[in-house]
Amino acid sequence: MKRNALVFVVLVGAIIGMLAAGKYLDRTRKHGPLKMVGNVKGVQAPDFDLPTLDGRRVKLSDFRGKAVLLNFWATWCSPCQIEMPWFVELQKQYGKDGLVVLGVAMDDSEPSKIAEFAHEMGVNYPVLLGTDQVSDDFGDVQFLPTTFYIDRDGVIVDKAAGLFSRGEIENNIKKILASSRNSGAPQTSRASVGNTLAPPPKDAP
Amino acid sequence: MTKPAGTVAAVVFFLATLGLAQAPSEKQSYVIMAPVGNVQLRAGASTSVEMDFRIGSEFHINSHHPKADYLIPTVLKLNAPEQLTVADLKYPEGEEMAFAFAPNDKLSVYSGDFSINAVLKAPAKAAAGSYPVKGELRFQACDHSACYPPRSIPVQFQVTVVKK
Repeated sequence: MKRNALVFVVLVGAIIGMLAAGKYLDRTRKHGPLKMVGNVKGVQAPDFDLPTLDGRRVKLSDFRGKAVLLNFWATWCSPCQIEMPWFVELQKQYGKDGLVVLGVAMDDSEPSKIAEFAHEMGVNYPVLLGTDQVSDDFGDVQFLPTTFYIDRDGVIVDKAAGLFSRGEIENNIKKILASSRNSGAPQTSRASVGNTLAPPPKDAP
Repeated sequence: MTKPAGTVAAVVFFLATLGLAQAPSEKQSYVIMAPVGNVQLRAGASTSVEMDFRIGSEFHINSHHPKADYLIPTVLKLNAPEQLTVADLKYPEGEEMAFAFAPNDKLSVYSGDFSINAVLKAPAKAAAGSYPVKGELRFQACDHSACYPPRSIPVQFQVTVVKK
């Protein structure tokens, strides 16, 4: 009888401990300005070469000198659909300042279905067909939407996993637009971009 | 199911749900299945088998009939041995819920606990014995702000066919 009581107490203690740890970890996951998954801030964005829905191929490095919003999404992702009209508007608003929005579709669906969906959403920016390799290269993108904000030098300034407000997205766009064009700068100086954004040079596009 | 086996199954399910209460790791499954007790079926008869699933708190998955074509439905696939047939699968109705990411759009989802019933039949000529029924549950989970790639979890239980 005593043994059973001891086992019960130990079991209850273990359960309480596990729940408390889970609650703590869950809080750290939910809060904070942006969910940073993996240490990608300040890192040079890995280049890729992906097909678009209309059969072209696009490299990330093609957009060096531009500020790139790289959005991983899927047709089955309802929160992704909330952001897409914002991206359409923001592309129109900031395109002239050097913003390029790129969507990376992580669907297993046929490209024609993805294209149909993107058309219905009024997408006005290139949609690329994502691969597991690209997901891995960007730190194993596990949930959608996940958006990388890449400055004009190709450095990841921020990463947002999950849906964020239009205001937060726009603030990040302003950050990457403000980054100076400094192609060819050494990696060490690029790595500091995430923390110390330089003001835009006078001749910036 | 015998009493000790039932107790063990309940403890296993309870402990497994503790995992769902934890902060989800990026590779974890968001749905777990409770053990199914040994099912007994007479040759020439049919029986209903209830499979109970639990979705981690904060998550939801699309129901079997989500409201849009682009959403991935929850689907159970069972592969019965030759001595058995899966005559029917009954999914629960989805719960219509709106989420913070789209407060004006209601989705048809499962959250918390849900059950799927399978109707199994054994032909009259089925040989007596114990047979495994295996399959998988495919689902796609989301939380309040993000969605996760489709996943599958294995489903397995044992059916004992007895002669009339």
